[in-house]
Amino acid sequence: MSLPNVILIIKGLRKVFEGSPPLVALENIDLDIYEGEFLCIVGPSGCGKTTLLRVIAGLEKPTDGEVLLRGRPILGPGPDRVMVFQEHTLFPWRTVLGNVMFGLELKGIPKDKALEAANSYIRLVGLEGFEHMYPHELSGGMRQRVAIARALACDPEMLLMDEPFSALDAQSRNYMQRELMEIWSKTGKTVVFVTHNVEEAIYLGDRIAVLTYRPARLRDVISIELPRPRDRLGQEFIELRAKVLGILKEEMEKAINQKLKPETPRRGKVKP
Amino acid sequence: MKLKKVLVPAASLLLFFSLWEAYYWLLINNPLLLAPPSRVLTTFIELMTGCNPHFYMPLDMVYSLFHYAVGFGLALAVGLSLGLLIGWFRLADEFSYTIIELIRPIPPIAWIPIAILMLGLTHQAASFIIFIGAVFPIILNTKYGVASVEVKYLEAAMTLGATKTSTLIMKVVLPAALPSIMAGLRVASGVAWMCVVAAELFGVAPYGLGYQIEMARLYHAPELVIAYMFAIGVLGFFLDRIYKLIESKVLAWRTGFVLA
Ligand SMILES: Nc1ncnc2c1ncn2[C@@H]1O[C@H](COP(=O)(O)OP(=O)(O)OP(=O)(O)O)[C@@H](O)[C@H]1O
Ligand SMILES: [Mg+2]
Repeated sequence: MSLPNVILIIKGLRKVFEGSPPLVALENIDLDIYEGEFLCIVGPSGCGKTTLLRVIAGLEKPTDGEVLLRGRPILGPGPDRVMVFQEHTLFPWRTVLGNVMFGLELKGIPKDKALEAANSYIRLVGLEGFEHMYPHELSGGMRQRVAIARALACDPEMLLMDEPFSALDAQSRNYMQRELMEIWSKTGKTVVFVTHNVEEAIYLGDRIAVLTYRPARLRDVISIELPRPRDRLGQEFIELRAKVLGILKEEMEKAINQKLKPETPRRGKVKP
Repeated sequence: MKLKKVLVPAASLLLFFSLWEAYYWLLINNPLLLAPPSRVLTTFIELMTGCNPHFYMPLDMVYSLFHYAVGFGLALAVGLSLGLLIGWFRLADEFSYTIIELIRPIPPIAWIPIAILMLGLTHQAASFIIFIGAVFPIILNTKYGVASVEVKYLEAAMTLGATKTSTLIMKVVLPAALPSIMAGLRVASGVAWMCVVAAELFGVAPYGLGYQIEMARLYHAPELVIAYMFAIGVLGFFLDRIYKLIESKVLAWRTGFVLA
């Protein structure tokens, strides 16, 4: 196996949201992302996972540090890093086909070629026969599949996915994870996948980046060498799960303690 | 089922016209004050077929529709672009808010004198009144529709490659704002049609349905007045139908969202 190429470098990334008091969402994150890898990001709820993904997508500007895509700083959003959002963002005024065609239209691809490509992505996510339906006529799982097809149709270098399956029930979630693995192995895209579900991360990822509670720092990066498709009930799977859950539990406890003992008690409100 | 759908409105129309006919013959019976529907109908047919030497209704319809089309078309162009501008740019909104809110409450009819003074008794003056009536609902609905486009759609479009503002507006903002814009157009069209009649009634232009109503009153011919009123109602009804049809075509994606 040849050495993996680094596609994205995150160096000393810090993100502060202005306000009173300012909120430090990300603190000193260093992370290299390799070409073609499936990287999962886990962390306690509200720690800054979405923020990290949005910085990579170019939807937020770093306060400090840099994010380099193939050596060049990210200046804004672009179709080379398409995001699949946590909430439902299909365009309600477009059909399934229209949604998948969106990125292709913007690239100025001729209509017949675009149609052909869109249809092949719709087939890839298993939605043949639903091309002419509108998003509100689809189930939650189907919508996420359209969102994935819409993202893939842009032929991005990186696919950024923000808890795409969190709204699904356990069965469809497992099903979608299997599907995603298949799509990923067919397309070979670099995927950054945010989740707060440890089992999902271990089932999908080549590596798992674990973030701490606010401000989010990179606590650990865990490589997962298990062969695919992975057995959720296998010995090693369960051990890994326990390990990651342990780290997260530690972080949660730190977070709770931090909340119980505020460093600067608000004057006048806290009795001695 | 289908028969019932025709029978019920037919029965209500029949009842309405019979009561009116009876009211005329029993209580009024004076051709200078009011006309029974039977007389209005024959007058209407005469007017439409050119049997009346002084009035030819199809021509007045054309003139009224012409005033409507020019005024409404202008309002459409100005209202959409201005609405888009102030809905999208906060500064443009702040800049124009006070002026718009000051001018908006002035009823279109109050503009008639200045329109006559500045433009004379012309078609332009009539169209101007219609423009004034129609432009504000279009501006406000467009602005509201544009300003309430959800950020998540804009961000999704941006990561999918819609990086230019013009692309975002054409591909996301306008389609997302379309329901609100269409509602504004329908309201504006209704107001515009009323303004046509008001403007012509005041003699802003020497032809048109509204103008002839006033002429007919001077002739003391209530059957003519009512025949023209009827024409205004029917055309207004069909104009609204046209917008309803367009709306259901371009907003087909919303079927199932709203209670039909
Ligand atoms: N635009 C913003 N302005 C101010 N604060 C923000 C903004 N976006 C996010 N935050 C704050 O940054 C922190 C991290 O938010 P983020 O959405 O990245 O968390 P998350 O890890 O994705 O959470 P979840 O698991 O619930 O999706 C939160 O405390 C949030 O309130
Ligand atoms: Mg999130």
